[in-house]
Amino acid sequence: MRRALDRTLFLASASCGVLACAVLVGFLAIIFSRGHSALTWSFFTDEMRQAGTGGGIVYNLVGTAILVGTAVVICAPFAIAIALLERVYLHNSTLRRILIGGIYTLNGVPTILFGIFGLIVFVKFFGWGKSWLTGGILLAALILPTVSVALIERIKSMPRKYLDAAAGLGLNESQIIWSVILPQSWGGLLTGLLLGLARAAGETAPIMFTATIFAGVSLPHGIHDSPVLSLPYHIFTLTQDSFDPSQDARLWGAAIVLLMLVLLLSLIALPSRLRIHEEAND
Amino acid sequence: MAVCFFAAFVCSFAWQMLPVWKHEGSGYVTGGTWFYRTKQFGCLPMIYGTMAVAGVALVLAAPLGLGAALFTAEYLPRRTRVGVKVLIEILAGIPSVIYGLLGVLLVREWVYRVFASLDILSGDTLFTGGILLAVMILPTIVTLGDDALRAVPGSQRRAARALGLTKAETILLISLPQSIRGLLSALLLALGRAFGETIATFLVVGRQDNHQPENWFSLRPLLEAGETLTTKLGGSETNIAYGGSQLHWAAIVGLGFVLLVMVGTITAIGIWQGKAQHA
Repeated sequence: MRRALDRTLFLASASCGVLACAVLVGFLAIIFSRGHSALTWSFFTDEMRQAGTGGGIVYNLVGTAILVGTAVVICAPFAIAIALLERVYLHNSTLRRILIGGIYTLNGVPTILFGIFGLIVFVKFFGWGKSWLTGGILLAALILPTVSVALIERIKSMPRKYLDAAAGLGLNESQIIWSVILPQSWGGLLTGLLLGLARAAGETAPIMFTATIFAGVSLPHGIHDSPVLSLPYHIFTLTQDSFDPSQDARLWGAAIVLLMLVLLLSLIALPSRLRIHEEAND
Repeated sequence: MAVCFFAAFVCSFAWQMLPVWKHEGSGYVTGGTWFYRTKQFGCLPMIYGTMAVAGVALVLAAPLGLGAALFTAEYLPRRTRVGVKVLIEILAGIPSVIYGLLGVLLVREWVYRVFASLDILSGDTLFTGGILLAVMILPTIVTLGDDALRAVPGSQRRAARALGLTKAETILLISLPQSIRGLLSALLLALGRAFGETIATFLVVGRQDNHQPENWFSLRPLLEAGETLTTKLGGSETNIAYGGSQLHWAAIVGLGFVLLVMVGTITAIGIWQGKAQHA
């Protein structure tokens, strides 16, 4: 009886684990088997033609690059500021809890609401129209929690004696930050930014009303009314509008490209993430 | 800064949605019809849709996800466990539009075929959206559930084993009771994510306005097309409202606010539960 229970529980939980992995891996396999035929060199270098049924995705890639690039550039200084606030400047633990709470809350906000917020503030109130800059700012806000938490974790894991030694040498607070904390923790910032990039590259909801359109533009020419094309919105529109998505190899090809982009960015960030896991286990 | 941004976020929503509350009063949340041409705004059908989709997702994903978490936390050796966990976290990062694409291709067809005997109109149903969301929140449940289980000290497990309990008894009598709050928190956070998911749901849920069940507890309405708060916000009506009357725009923004409140409550309870485990 007891042994039977022992076996049953093991089998049940093992099958759950295997099934969960199988579902997810199976999804990936399907995408690759459908879309690999579309992946030719010209797919990456041609513009889109005939509303996505012909040509390639070069401006979609460029547009996505512009959006996530802007997001990273905007996000980095704020993430550093937040991490320093949390680790160095705020001595009051209540304030610190509020800050951390705010970051986690921001992380939980549904992404579509970022889109609506952008529509209210940037598109309507500032009168920018659809603009790549709006998209960049919204994505930056979206990835801010990821980046700043990664940075905070890295600063936390820094040996205490570095700080003590720096203080012992008579460095003041800002000197300690410039010469000890920041040089020691740039890896955390990089990890966070890569993870953020991976997330930002795949988001559709925040940019679909504010920054991106389906066809008709190439490169942005200013801030006002200058949307870009983007990869996720491209996939979204084709999926929604095409008569039979399963037959459209270009759609699946675009999905592969987006997926590879995201997975690649996550993989580059992998080693330092593994280290965090290992440390958490000790 | 983050706090300021968040405050600005909430304030801008509150400010923009004032007109509709003046117009509808509390009927905004409890009203069952939404026709913007006749200026009727009631978002109950969409709240129902959101709950239904997320509920289906949770019912499907919870047993599987918790089972998998049990497996990684209790049975797998350490190195394999970290590997599996990282794999699952990477899968959590797959863009939702790709899940949506798969949903359109696979899940929709499947639902249509399986339930054909029930005479359903198409594969675009609340249930389809729920299945898709279940797959999407699975990684969240596994990885947070695993964290919760690992938070139970190993010494407790060793003590139980030394007393002669089998592995299964150790898990059922020691690990689970101690981590129950953490597991609950994992489920709630996953539910919050399911509430807020837009793109994938959008593509398969059918987006049928004013879909409200006659019997709130029957399962049949799940096999019909519906609308959730997020898919309404993601739809073309947002563009119409943006160029249209102030009232209509306020109604759309109001939907966002209702969603924010729902997600905020669930997430807050989830985080609070998770903290309580460690206290």
